[in-house]
Amino acid sequence: MRSRQKELLELLDKSGADLYALLTRLTLREDVAEELMQELFIKLNNSRGIGNVANWNAYARRSAINLAFDWRRSHMRTILALGQVGEPVSNDDSPLGKLIHSEELTETLDAVGRLKKSSREVLVMRYLQQESYDNIAEQLGKTSHQVRALCSRAIRNLRNVLGSNEHESSKKEIHNVANR
Amino acid sequence: MSQIDENQIHDRLKRLSQVEPRKEATDRAIQKARDALMSEKAIPKLRLRLPHIVTKFAAAAVLMIGAGYIGGRLSAPEPLDVQELQAALEHSLKSSLEPAIRQELLSEMDDRWQSTLAVSNAKVKDELARQVRRDLTEFAAQTLAASGTRTEQRLMELIRLIEAARIQDRRRMASAFDYIESRFGNGLVTLAARTDELLDAERAGSVPDISEN
Repeated sequence: MRSRQKELLELLDKSGADLYALLTRLTLREDVAEELMQELFIKLNNSRGIGNVANWNAYARRSAINLAFDWRRSHMRTILALGQVGEPVSNDDSPLGKLIHSEELTETLDAVGRLKKSSREVLVMRYLQQESYDNIAEQLGKTSHQVRALCSRAIRNLRNVLGSNEHESSKKEIHNVANR
Repeated sequence: MSQIDENQIHDRLKRLSQVEPRKEATDRAIQKARDALMSEKAIPKLRLRLPHIVTKFAAAAVLMIGAGYIGGRLSAPEPLDVQELQAALEHSLKSSLEPAIRQELLSEMDDRWQSTLAVSNAKVKDELARQVRRDLTEFAAQTLAASGTRTEQRLMELIRLIEAARIQDRRRMASAFDYIESRFGNGLVTLAARTDELLDAERAGSVPDISEN
């Protein structure tokens, strides 16, 4: 058995659940997360340019984030159109509440996907994976202060993106009402 | 400006962080990933991947071709009138081709004439040579005939002159003999008689004295 395959199997045993949870949070669909999980490990196994990776866990985490947002970008137009809202993600029991919460989360994730790569990664690590600033700094090769600054800037950018989204959607609603 | 505040964003992110897959889904996903790693799909295959630079060059080439096409379409002149174009082409072709065609035709005719004249010249030379030879032969025959006749006439004349000269000589000899006979006829008879007597005497052994004469 090759050494990389062995390392990846160990990684799968150690961090497979976390990676799958991360993919589920980013896609909001268990079936898609399952496929992306396979794809992630196949890519990690077959990719040539990796060389000796010191921290497979951090590398796999960042690859999973990129993979999930790539999937979101390629399926952005069909996610809601097909009604493929995934597993229950809200404590609200009513169907309307579930739908609203799902749409909010989808919107948030789409907005995160529109951020720069560095902002997106720190945002996911910090707020979705609840990792510490020191841990994130270690994974990204930065200081914790830099990571804090990046997180703050990422939140600000996300707020702007979401705000502009809501502004556009409200304009569309007004336009639709006026046309009626 | 933004209608969503930071707390709402944090709330949404917190809700996202609370999303957890089911245990059986997690186990199934891990098992599938393990199977994928162990299966043939995980074995690295030799893939033909184009270098990134090639892709960039291809994209740049496509962009340049597209830009060139659009630029060409935009900068292309308005379509010409077909009749005007035809007339212009006809005039241009006529002005450019007519002298060349004429020159070509003339040179072609010259060549043909020269070849025809060369053949005719050879025939004429041959005919002329035959005619000259025939004339020379005829002239030679006539000359020979005339010469023969003339020679024959000369010879006949010569023969006649010789015959006349002989007759004249004979006549002179006859007259000379007549003269001699008339003057010396008796003496000769006497001489002959004495000669005959001398001869008889000699045969008889006595030689007569002839000193008296």
